[in-house]
Amino acid sequence: MSGGALLQGALAGLAAGGLYAVLAVTLTLMSRLVRVVNFAQAATGMFAAFSAVWFASELGLPTWLATIIGVLVGALLSGIIGWIAATWLAEATVTLRSAMTVAPLLLLISLSFIIFGNKPQPFAPVLSGPAFKVAGVVVSWVTVVMVVLAILVAVACSLLLRRTTIGTKLRALSERPTTAELIGIAAKPLSIGVWAVTGAISAITIMVIAPSQSNDAISLSMLIIPASAAALLGGFKRLDLAVVGGLALGMITGIVAQIPDVSFIRNFIPFFFIVILLLWSQRKEVWDAAR
Amino acid sequence: MKKRIVSFAAMAAVAALALTGCAGGDDGGGGEGSPIKIGSVNTLSGAATFPEASAAAKAVFDRVNAKGGVNGHKIEYNTVDDKGDPASATAAARELVGSDEVVALVGGASLIECEINKDYYKQEGVYSIPGIGVDTGCFDSPNIAPVNIGPFNDMTLTLLNGSENLKLDNICVMLEIAGSTKPAYMAGVDRWTKITGKKPLLVDDTVPYGGSDYTPYIVKAKEAGCKAIAVNAIEPDAIGQVKAAQAQGWDDVTFLFLTSVYSDNFAKALDWTGAGAHIPAEFYPFTEESEINADWKSLMEENKIPLTSFSQGGYLAATNFLKVVEGMKGDITRESVAKALDDMAPIDNDMVASPYQFSKVAAQDFEPGAWPVVLKSGTNAWKKSAEDWLMVPSK
Repeated sequence: MSGGALLQGALAGLAAGGLYAVLAVTLTLMSRLVRVVNFAQAATGMFAAFSAVWFASELGLPTWLATIIGVLVGALLSGIIGWIAATWLAEATVTLRSAMTVAPLLLLISLSFIIFGNKPQPFAPVLSGPAFKVAGVVVSWVTVVMVVLAILVAVACSLLLRRTTIGTKLRALSERPTTAELIGIAAKPLSIGVWAVTGAISAITIMVIAPSQSNDAISLSMLIIPASAAALLGGFKRLDLAVVGGLALGMITGIVAQIPDVSFIRNFIPFFFIVILLLWSQRKEVWDAAR
Repeated sequence: MKKRIVSFAAMAAVAALALTGCAGGDDGGGGEGSPIKIGSVNTLSGAATFPEASAAAKAVFDRVNAKGGVNGHKIEYNTVDDKGDPASATAAARELVGSDEVVALVGGASLIECEINKDYYKQEGVYSIPGIGVDTGCFDSPNIAPVNIGPFNDMTLTLLNGSENLKLDNICVMLEIAGSTKPAYMAGVDRWTKITGKKPLLVDDTVPYGGSDYTPYIVKAKEAGCKAIAVNAIEPDAIGQVKAAQAQGWDDVTFLFLTSVYSDNFAKALDWTGAGAHIPAEFYPFTEESEINADWKSLMEENKIPLTSFSQGGYLAATNFLKVVEGMKGDITRESVAKALDDMAPIDNDMVASPYQFSKVAAQDFEPGAWPVVLKSGTNAWKKSAEDWLMVPSK
């Protein structure tokens, strides 16, 4: 096994890595700002992307318009889930709020089967083709865009949180919700806003990636698993580590595919990633105390 | 305590199921004018679904019933969903064979059903004619004879098509292995090697089933110098693989897929297919205007059933079965149907390459054939790529 082949594998996994990274960033944002691990994150993007295809193919809208409508659908769907969380589960624990998002995950998958059928969708690629070559591997435009998008979203979010009034209010809400409300910060609109924005980001991400990979409802919705594994690297708190985790996970998957002796473990990589991170994060815990 | 009650109830349910399984049926359509009961086990819900085969079979039976049935007997056709889940598949077979007491199983299509139920069918002496046999169990049981040639023969044929018709060398085999199908696929590849003396340049059996991004596997094949890749992917995965190759700018690759991707939906989803996506169609290509498919096509359109290989399989299973039953004298029971199928004369139909004869097909003792079809870049439509059936020479 040569180093060249491994490098190629790593580059080949970069597009998937960028995708995991963007989703991991949105997951981290949700967990930090609205105290939830949103299992329906990828499913929302999937449903939004399918809607866009439907608007383009069934109603004959131009691609750019259908894309915009798709992003709005993603924001709206996510906003609705956020509204439910803010209305009925405002005081609930993180666990309970996160468990609630499993319902929309299953609902969106079923709904897309009912409305769009259970076959892959004919996506017209927004971007396609090779961008440039490194070490004999073509790096596609999708890869470039995904990696840049992941870094951009993470940087933009951290600037927003640190440098703007809205960011300060959001941080206040997540750290001291009751105090923040007492001094007059409107909790509900802000948190629904966060949901809507992450929904829109997911929709954009899925629309970029869907034309270049398997795009049936299940495989797109289940992207939540590697994305969660990536977000775990930053403990669902740090955006920079979420990006690193996503890219690393994608590259590891790409490398493993190149080595026949270990490629049978490729389906378990996110799982191993999660287990190792959990063990590492608990390394200083004393057995009794940790339980 | 509560737990104990639940587990006791579960045990009782299992026992009840087992008992119904043993209460072998005596007749499903004995006397004068009584209905003939037929069933099928299908994967209608779950990750991969095959609803068209049994829908097509039902359309054929409904048409016969509208004309008064077979020799005065109406047909009662019951389709059961196995959800792609082993426990449900077991229960579905017991419901049909044990409690409904069907005389035969006709026109089904399931991901897993044959493997799980073949021993039970043998024990109960019931014969099954799946519209589309998918798993290995459909092709190695004396009680099961699907009307299609199956994915393993398909593998041999798609390789033959690549090496002999298209004159490609450096063909690589990429397999998505679900369950225990690897030996059967490898036997399909070996059969091609035996016939042509050619070997695959690379065999990668680690390709994920239902994966999302296939770039790493495509890069691996491209680097190995493959000119063509033979893949047993189902539709969504195949689309992912073609798109990954497109993103890599691998313009001169030829894809050799199986019948499972032969659909209008697949053609619409891909406007780029490298040097072409080729498949061996197990039934006469339905994308061609032809007299051969006319009756099937009009019946499907009448009943709003999608035109796919699956609906062709269901239709053929039902028509073949009806031909056999029409020629039967005396009572129609499970035993007499089994005997009639054992003794049947081969049925010729232009929709398939070889005549259908239950015992020969069940023993896999026939020459499988398929019609080569291609999806070229930029056409979004399947086209015949040969003027006759491509056959696997007999062993």
